Amino acid sequence: MSSDLKGIIEALVFISQEPLTIDRIKTVLEGAPGDEVQAAVDELLQDYASSGRGIQVVRAGGGYLLSTRPDHDRWVRRLLQIERKNRLTSASLETLSAIAYHQPVTQAEVSAIRGVDSTYTLKTLLEKKLIKIVGRKKAPGNPLVYRTSERFLQYFGLNSLDELPSEEEIGKILQEEKSS
Amino acid sequence: MPEHSPEPIPSADAAAIPVSAEGRDGYQVRLDIFEGPLDLLLFLIRKKKIDIHDIPIAAITRDYLDYLGRKDEINLDREAEFLFIAALLIYIKSQMLLPRETDLAEQDDPRQVLVNRLLEYQKIKAACSILREKEEDQILQWKRTFLPPLPGESELDFTEVSLFDLAESFFLMMKRRAAEDTRIIKGRDVSYEEKLKELLGLLRDGQVLDFLAYFATQESLEEALVSFFCLLELVKSRQAVAVQDELFQTIRVWLRKDARRAGHHE
Repeated sequence: MSSDLKGIIEALVFISQEPLTIDRIKTVLEGAPGDEVQAAVDELLQDYASSGRGIQVVRAGGGYLLSTRPDHDRWVRRLLQIERKNRLTSASLETLSAIAYHQPVTQAEVSAIRGVDSTYTLKTLLEKKLIKIVGRKKAPGNPLVYRTSERFLQYFGLNSLDELPSEEEIGKILQEEKSS
Repeated sequence: MPEHSPEPIPSADAAAIPVSAEGRDGYQVRLDIFEGPLDLLLFLIRKKKIDIHDIPIAAITRDYLDYLGRKDEINLDREAEFLFIAALLIYIKSQMLLPRETDLAEQDDPRQVLVNRLLEYQKIKAACSILREKEEDQILQWKRTFLPPLPGESELDFTEVSLFDLAESFFLMMKRRAAEDTRIIKGRDVSYEEKLKELLGLLRDGQVLDFLAYFATQESLEEALVSFFCLLELVKSRQAVAVQDELFQTIRVWLRKDARRAGHHE
């Protein structure tokens, strides 16, 4: 089997809609040694990177998935007849950012950070599955507690919350804004 | 073409603050371009090149109120949020004017609460601009999103059903049972505690329970009712998760991880 490990993994990544994690691959392959799986995945990534193909294997959301190359965006959009892909509204982005850095948080906490009532925005983010409800806080009114979801990571091409913009990156932005 | 309205003539107090080149040109800033009051406040602070740790409250309050006065439509919800911060600014100023016997220690500065909020908000905003770039990158890379998601990846990505959904399914199950032509001869008392123990036993070790199937194994209507109450109780006390993929489909139930670890608590 190991000779075709790369091919099998390619098939799995192809058919998977969500980022396919190494663990998941290992479960499917039942007992394939971890380092061999990782090596095959790395090889697969290299193959795609070097062969000038229209699709690529990317690492996001803690796993691997196939995507089209950025250069081909306009052609894909033409095929799908999509004028412009929707971006998040600035209210949504701001709310997401507040949740990402302060999770787990309640609606009231998010609203306090932003200085703006965030009930509606939270609802939209929930609908988009970019955030999820993880429970209730043991506080008056038992408010719902929110976290960012796996889809959030995938949406921004992050693998884990550790890859959120760091203090240094943020400091750099603030410095630039100050001097501009 | 932006409508021009000249910057208000700075009063003696405000004149002490350097007005940036931008400011002197004078341009209309509409309130709705700001995400909220903190955004507006940060804008004013940056425009006047004020040190965020040493905000001249009186001047910034004047500017702030001036912007509020420029709005051309009234949106009560938004207005309230902007006014709240205005009130906070005025409150801080009043605190600063109060005579004190001893000098203020740094953390006693009435402005500190506001400064902390602004710093945090500023951080969030900066992170937003980085995330926006990442979004731009990602949006060009098309992924396949039309296949159904893989089953069983993580428990938290499911939509948890509400108690109302549960009740609806319950009535459906009741109807199904009623349609079956069964006759119950022997009656047996079913205790809630026993049923709860039985349910918990079934759910232990991360077992996932198909509630519809479980329900079908119940001998009598009474027993079925009690088991349903137990399920409601478990969901209410947040010991168990109940998930229904589609309306009228079965409900899958499992214990929450922390409940599993903590064991059954009375």
